[in-house]
Amino acid sequence: MDRAIIVDGLVKDFEVTEREPGLTGAFKSLISPKKKIVNALKGVSFSIQPGELVGFIGPNGAGKTTTLKTLSGLLYPTAGFVEVLEFDPWKRNPEFLKQISLVMGQKNQLWWDLPAIETFELNRAIYDIPTRSYNENLKELTELLDVEKLLNTPVRKLSLGQRMRMELVAALIHKPKVLFLDEPTIGLDIIAQQKVRDFIYDYNRKYNATVLLTSHNMGDLINLARRVIIINDGKILYDGAFEDLIMQYAKEKIIKATLSNENNISNLEKIGKIKKLSFPEVVLSVPRSAAAVAASELLQNFPVDDLTIEEIPIEEIIRKAFKSEPKK
Amino acid sequence: MRKYLQIFKISFEEEFTYRLNFILWRIRNVMQIFLTYFIWSTVYSDPAKQIFGYDRTKILTYVFGIMIVRALVLSARAMDVSNDVASGNLSNYLTKPVNYFKYWFTRDISSKVLNLIFATVEFILLFLVLKPPFLFQTNIAVILAFLVSIIFAVIIYFLILFLLSSIPFWIPEIGWGSHFLVTVVIVEALSGSLFPINILPQGLQSIILATPFPYLIYFPVEVYLGNISGWALFGGLMVAASWVGVLWVFLNVVWQKGLKVYQSFGG
Ligand SMILES: Nc1ncnc2c1ncn2[C@@H]1O[C@H](COP(=O)(O)OP(=O)(O)OP(=O)(O)O)[C@@H](O)[C@H]1O
Ligand SMILES: [Mg+2]
Repeated sequence: MDRAIIVDGLVKDFEVTEREPGLTGAFKSLISPKKKIVNALKGVSFSIQPGELVGFIGPNGAGKTTTLKTLSGLLYPTAGFVEVLEFDPWKRNPEFLKQISLVMGQKNQLWWDLPAIETFELNRAIYDIPTRSYNENLKELTELLDVEKLLNTPVRKLSLGQRMRMELVAALIHKPKVLFLDEPTIGLDIIAQQKVRDFIYDYNRKYNATVLLTSHNMGDLINLARRVIIINDGKILYDGAFEDLIMQYAKEKIIKATLSNENNISNLEKIGKIKKLSFPEVVLSVPRSAAAVAASELLQNFPVDDLTIEEIPIEEIIRKAFKSEPKK
Repeated sequence: MRKYLQIFKISFEEEFTYRLNFILWRIRNVMQIFLTYFIWSTVYSDPAKQIFGYDRTKILTYVFGIMIVRALVLSARAMDVSNDVASGNLSNYLTKPVNYFKYWFTRDISSKVLNLIFATVEFILLFLVLKPPFLFQTNIAVILAFLVSIIFAVIIYFLILFLLSSIPFWIPEIGWGSHFLVTVVIVEALSGSLFPINILPQGLQSIILATPFPYLIYFPVEVYLGNISGWALFGGLMVAASWVGVLWVFLNVVWQKGLKVYQSFGG
C-alpha cells in the first residue's frame, strides 16, 4: 500500500429545505418545501501516504469537516472516488473501522454521566482489544495527556480541556492507523493546546500513523504538519509544503504588546511595521527571522507590561495567497 | 459477544445515575397500577359479576399482568435513537465496529432487566397491600406460549421504535417528537395496556388484531390468562411472527436509505 488515503474528484451535495421565518413560514415549508442544493465539495482530489501528517485548512464552510466525514464513512459521496487503507469507507467494513478514528473538537463520545474509564472499557470491548495492550495503551495515553487522576470522575464534572483530552484517549485507545482530527484544540488553553499538539506529533511518529488535521489555529500546524492542503469553497487551492507557504506568505510575525505609558511611543516604528496602535495596545508586524530581536528591543526600550509573539492567522495567509489568483 | 455484555453493563450503570428521576418514575408506575386497579375493582365490585367475559379475578389478573408485561415490553431505550439521528450523535457509532441495531437491542435488554427487577418488587408489595385475586398460571405449555409471545412483543416494539426513529433522517427537526403520537396514543390504546382489546366491538377488534400493536401487551397477557389457546393461539403467534419479519425487512430498507441521506450534523 503506497497511499493510505486516496480522494479523487469527490463531490458532496447536501439538500436543505429553506424556510421562511415565523409560524407561517414553518407551515409553508411543510406543505411545499423549497429544496436547495448546497455544493459542499466540488471535486476534491488528493492523496496521502502512510505515516504522513497533513494539515487541512480553509475558512469556515470550506468543506473540511465534510471531507473528513466522508473519509470516515459517515457521509455518502455524491460523486467521486474515496479510498482509505484500501477500503471504501462507506461500506464500513469492521476491519476498516478498527483502524481509523475521527475526533471532532465539538462532538463527544464519552458517556456524560459516567467516569471516562467506563467509555474506555466499552471501547476496549467494541474494538476487541486484548487486555494487555489495552492496559498498556491506557497507561501510556493517560500519562501523555496527564489525565490519570481524572479517570474515575464523572465526565460531566470535567473541564472542557480535561474532557477533550479524555476524548483523545477514547479515540486512540485502539491505536488507529489513520486519524482524522477536526479542530482538536478548539476551546483549549495554551498549555492544553501544546499538550495535545505534542501528543499528536508523538503519536504520528511513534506509530507511523497517518494523520489528517484541520485547524483554524496556525500554532497547531507549525512544527507539526510538513504538508498542508488548503480548501476553499469546496475546492482545493493549494497542496504542498507548509514551509513554502510560510516563506511566501507568512514572512512576518505579529508582536502584540501592552504598554504602561506613552513614553517613546513615536519610536515604535523603528522596531517594526505598526499594524495597530491604540494605547495601551500596540500590534507590530516584524520579519519572521527578526521576531526575537524585535521583541527584546521592545522589552528593553519601551515600558512593556505584556508581550506575545504570534503567527499570522491562517485566514490571512489564505487571503494573501489567493487574492492574486485571477477570477474565472 | 463480550462487546454486547459491556454495553449491557455500562447501560445498566447509566440508568442509575439519576436516582431521583428513577425513583419518581417508579412511583409513577405504581400510581398508575393503583389507579387502574381501583377503576376496575369498582366496576367489578360484585365478585360474581361478569362483563365481556371477564370476572373480577381475571380482570384484576389482567391489570397485574399488564404491570409485568409493560415492564418487559414497553421499557425500552431505543427511542433515544431518533435523537442520535437528529443530533448527529449517530456518527459516534457509525465510525466504530459495532452493530447499531444490536447495540440498542442490548441497551433495551439492560433496561428491561432493570425494570423487571423493580417491577417484581413492586408487584410483591402491591400484592401484599391489595391482596387481589390473582391467577397463578401453572400450565407449562401456557407459560411457554406466554414467553414466546413476550419475545415477539419485545422485538416488535424494538422494530417499531427504530422505524419511527428513522424519520429524522429526512426530517431532522422532528427529533423525538416522532415518538409522541405512537408511544402515547397508539401503543397505550391499541396495545391493550389501558383495557383489554376484546371489550371492543367485534369489527374493530379484528382490525386492531391485524396491526402489530395488540401483540405488545394484550396478546401476551391474554395468553397468560389462558383466554387464548389452540388454533387462536397458534394463529396469533403466526401474526406476531409475520409482523416481526415484515417490520425487520422494512426497517433494513428504510435504514439503508436513511444512511445515504444522513447528514451527520455537528462538528
Ligand atoms: N448537514 C448539512 N446540511 C446542509 N449543508 C451542510 C451540512 N453540513 C455542511 N453543510 C454545508 O457544507 C459546507 C461545508 O461545510 P463544512 O462543515 O465541511 O465546513 P468546514 O470547512 O468544516 O467549516 P468550519 O471551519 O466552519 O468547520 C458549508 O457551506 C455548510 O453550510
Ligand atoms: Mg468544520
